[in-house]
Parts: sequence; C-alpha cells; structure tokens
Amino acid sequence: MSEKELLKGNIAIAKAALNCGCTCYFGYPITPQTEIGEYLSQKMQEKNLAYVCAESEIAAINMALGAASTGAKVMTSSSSCAVSLMQEAISYACSDELPIVVVNVMRAGPGQGYIFPSQGDYNQATIGGGNGDYHTIVLSPSNVQECIDLTYKAFHLAQKYRNPVILLADGLLGQMAEPAELTENPYPQIDNSSWRLDGANSRPSRNIHSLEPNQTKLNQHIINLYKKYELIEQNECDYEEYLCQDAQVIFVAFGSLSRHVKSVCNHYRKNGIKAGLFRPKSLYPFPYKKLNELSRKTPIFIDVEMNMGQMLKDIRLAILSNAKISFIGKPTGNWLREEEIINAADNIIKEYYASI
Amino acid sequence: MQVYSAPKAIKENSDFTFCPGCDHGIAIKIIAHLIDELNLKENTVAIASSGCSVFLYNFLDIDCLESPHGRACAVATGVKRAHKAQGNNKFVFTYQGDGDFASIGLAESMHSALRGENITAICINNTNYGMTGGQLGPTTAMGQVTTTSQNGRNKEYHGFPIRTAEQIALCEGTSFSARVALYDIKNIINAKNIIKKAFEYQNQGLGFSFVEILSSCPTNWKLSPKDSHEKIKNELTQIFPLGIFKDIKND
Amino acid sequence: MSYIKLDKNKCKSCYLCMDVCPKGLIKKSDEIGKTGEFIVKFEDKENQCLGCSQCAIMCPEIAITEVYKE
Repeated sequence: MSEKELLKGNIAIAKAALNCGCTCYFGYPITPQTEIGEYLSQKMQEKNLAYVCAESEIAAINMALGAASTGAKVMTSSSSCAVSLMQEAISYACSDELPIVVVNVMRAGPGQGYIFPSQGDYNQATIGGGNGDYHTIVLSPSNVQECIDLTYKAFHLAQKYRNPVILLADGLLGQMAEPAELTENPYPQIDNSSWRLDGANSRPSRNIHSLEPNQTKLNQHIINLYKKYELIEQNECDYEEYLCQDAQVIFVAFGSLSRHVKSVCNHYRKNGIKAGLFRPKSLYPFPYKKLNELSRKTPIFIDVEMNMGQMLKDIRLAILSNAKISFIGKPTGNWLREEEIINAADNIIKEYYASI
Repeated sequence: MQVYSAPKAIKENSDFTFCPGCDHGIAIKIIAHLIDELNLKENTVAIASSGCSVFLYNFLDIDCLESPHGRACAVATGVKRAHKAQGNNKFVFTYQGDGDFASIGLAESMHSALRGENITAICINNTNYGMTGGQLGPTTAMGQVTTTSQNGRNKEYHGFPIRTAEQIALCEGTSFSARVALYDIKNIINAKNIIKKAFEYQNQGLGFSFVEILSSCPTNWKLSPKDSHEKIKNELTQIFPLGIFKDIKND
Repeated sequence: MSYIKLDKNKCKSCYLCMDVCPKGLIKKSDEIGKTGEFIVKFEDKENQCLGCSQCAIMCPEIAITEVYKE
C-alpha cells in the first residue's frame, strides 16, 4: 500500500512509466522535462532495462519505433521544439500501428521559444505535425496525480489500440511538486503475440511497414486506421465537468491552467454567477459530444488557454451555433492569474448580457 | 549432386524489384544464403530503409521492420535493446543505401557505431541516389556526372564524398568495418565471407559491425550491367578501396 | 552431366551470367522477357557444363535456382 509523497510532475511520469512495465526509454535532454530521463537513466540501468542517451530526438523516437515493434512498453519524452523533430517517426508509428508513449512537457514556441511553460503544442499534438492521414491519442494531465494516472492510461491505450499516445503536459506541471500517490497500474496486460517482431520462429515471417505501392491496399490501410480512430472517438473521450450542469457560463480549459479556472468558477459562484469548468482530459479524441450537450443549456463559453486559442476551433465545432464563444489567453510565461481571467471574463459576460 | 541452390530465406514468388543487372540482387542473395547457413531466420529482425533497399521485407522470409529514411541504425538499436531488456538476444541487421546510411542518417549510423551497438549494418554504395533517378549523393565520386551535378562533381561547388567504411572504422565501438565489391565471382565470394564475419561478430557480441558494398547502378550510370562492373573494378575501387578497415580481433 | 536450372520468368536480361560462364553455354534466346529484351537460355549439347555455379552466384535475380555437378 503506497501513500502520498511529494512528487514533481516529471518524476511522477517517470515513476509511473516504470511502475506499469515500461522497459524501454530513449531520450535527449531538453528543459523542462530533463528529469524524466535523468530519473529513468539510473533506475533502468539498475533493472537491466533499455535506456539510451540518444544522439538526438530524431534518433530517440526512432529507437522507440524499433523497440515498440518488439511489443515492449516504450516511452520517449521531450519538449515542444524537440517534439517537432519527432513528427516524422510519429507519422510512421501511426501507419505502422506501433504503441509508443510520447511525453511532451510543453515549453514556449514557436521555434526555440524559451523554457517558459506554455500550451502551444495543442495543434501539433491533436492535429498531428507529421504527414498523412493519422491521429495520435492525446491525454492532458492537470496535476501531479494525473501525471501518474494518465501515464498508466497512455501505456494502456497505446497497447490497446496499437497507436502512439502523446501525454501532453506542460513545463509548470513538469516542474511543480505536490502530493501524489503512486497507485498500482489499474490496466490489464494486452497480448501482442499476433503482431510483434521477435523472429519467425514456428510461425510465418512478419513485416511492419508504412510503404505500400498498391494504391488500393494503401487506401484500405488508411480506411482501416480511420475505423480504429472512430472506435477511439467512441470509447476514449475523457473529460472533467466542474459545476457545469446549471452553468450560465462554461469555461473550457485543459492541463494545469484549468486549476486556476476552477478557482475562477468558485469566485463567480460566490458572486451569484453560475460558472462551470469543462476540462477535456483527452484532447484527441476531443469530447465534442459532451460539449455540444452542454451548449444546449449554457449560452456562454469561454476558452482559456496558454496559447493563442488553439482549442477554440474544436470548441466551435462542438457547441451549438447560437452559443457565444470567447477566448482568454496569452501565449506563454507565467500562467494567467485568477484576477486576469476574471477581469477578462467580466467583460465578456457583461457584453453578452448587454447584447440580449 | 546439387552444388548450388537458391536461398531458402527468400520468399517464394518474390521477384526483385531492382533494375536489370543491379547489384542489390546479388547483395540480398548473399544475405539470404547467410541467413540459411547461420540458421538466423528464427531469431532475426531485419531493418529496411528508404531508397531502392526499401522492399527488403518483400524478399526476405524473416521478420522485417521498415525505418524512416536514414534512421535504420536507430530503429535497429531500439529493436536490439528492447529484446535484450526482455532477456532475448535477437540478431538485428540493417540494409541501407549510401544515401540512407551516410547522408541523411549519418548521425544515427555513426552514433550506433560509437555506442558499439551490437548490430550489423549493410550499406549499398552505388555512388548516387538511385531510386529518385541518380542524383549527387554523399558518395558520388569527384568528376561523376549525376542529374544534380551535370558538369561532374567538383570540390569547390559540391565538396567531397565520404569514405564510409574508413569513417566507421574510426569509431571505438566498431568491431568490424570493411568494403567489398560484387563485380566478379571472386569478389562476390569474398563479400559473402566478409558479411559472414560481420554477422558472426554480432553473434559474438563484439559491437557494431559494418560492411559497405560497392554496387552498380546501371540505369543511372547509363552503362550496361557489364560495363557497370568494369567501372567499379577500374574506377571506383581506386576511390573506394576494398578491404577491411577495422577488425577488433586483429587490432 | 552437369547442368543448371533456369527460371526464365525471373530473368531480366542483364546478361551477367553470359559473361561469367567459362564455357559460353548461356546465350540470348529468341524469347522476350519481362524487360522487353531477349532472355537467356542454357544450351549444353556437348555436356560441357562444369557445374561451377558461377552463373548462379552472379545472377542478381536468383533466376538460376539450382546447379548440379556430376
């Protein structure tokens, strides 16, 4: 029986990975996620597991690609500008249907940006930064406990759907410490004996590749991938609703920033305005359906993000056309404080009620 | 008495997709024969790459994984290490072109050698980017005409080619590095012995083993298969000398 | 009598085998193969084949699949 301990987000992710049977980690240092690799380098060597200080993020994700083909639980971690380097192999892994967990502890961009935390990779993660028709599952933790829970879930979904999963954390979450419990991994082992590459021993040889010169076969392969994505969209939408049921105004936020927004909701509730928070925990699949339902009753939606409004388009797609949608955000740096959000939201709410 | 048979490790009814007279076919045939001889089939994962080498998995009847362009050695590292972490020692080799191994993937290739990654890399050097129609590559010889060096490679404009086997030999983690050719029977038999040695070094856990195969590209060189072999014999071996550049057992 | 087995469906008419046969037993046939060129044929009326396998070792298409030596 484990109990709560003071854990940094990065360390929590690393511990959870080990705890649920991750046997391979490949990475290259980049702030603000370096502690993940540092922690695992020691632990994995002690356990004779596979840890490689890769020569680049490109090498790291490709090592992960190779390792995943053996059926092993595989993780790499990085941050924003270096996750960009991994996009090619992520596209391959989606086509190859290889389970890889990619942790992105987001920092500021574009380009090198800086080590300030940010949520600027929402688009890259949810739309995909690589070529072709594909999706990666994207999970977004908001606190250190969820760094553990969603790491377990990321490994599980990667294996279950044979698809890369991105754990989209941010620099604040990676670097902050709070009490969390390293619970047991709740998910079952998934049998991969039907596809893993381990030598053609007493079975026909197998190969895994994305290249397909026959256009009928290539089309069918992609259509099959999209059938899988449909299944993922049906089964794996994950979200938190906070005081949404009777809300006049619903804030939509993800990741650690949503915690500030929760306080904002409490502030409004105290002042007689029924505010709620809708927090997608899975950014792909995005919980369109639930958000759509909420927009039948709630007229105002306010998207709060540490970027220039990357999630706005998904909220717009989800909500009914007569609901109003506004954005509060800034691209990077210190997280928006409650007062900043409240000041901006006051105006939005006032404007709305003045207009009806 | 039967003195020769086609390798069993080649898939039935799989015709090579290479141009007529291309040495890729000879190289893959050698590898397939060695898979038979060394009983590797049941324990091997091969890594294919991008370029003419890409269809390896259509020919070899063993487990194969494709890698993104240039990353074969990184992918092989992942396969080898992941199996090792599960307590299995698998035989892992890459099959790459010179563009894949020594240009776009030079970092992954060289770092695998530096780490002494216990894998084998086979690199087909045909001095151009073959699949895209014969452009200047990292191994294009001085003076060689390609579609992107139509006046011939020159040092002021294009810089110098890489001698891959010599470079890989400099890496401390390399157990074996050699260059072979396939332009006549003697050299083909020698190439097979050299590749066998590279494979055995992996089986003995000695580190990164590497064989560069000087190969013909009749289509893009605009020569007949026979003349292509003559070119390798008379010209290319002057620039890319054949031999063993590192052998950990002799050094 | 030594001989080879030639899978003519695999021949791509590169003619490398013709050059290595020490007895000149492999020649162009009058049959057109998949590359649009005349494929090769093995003709050994005087039982000259040595079973040396050089043609098979050279053939890039593994079109020479078996060699027998007596």
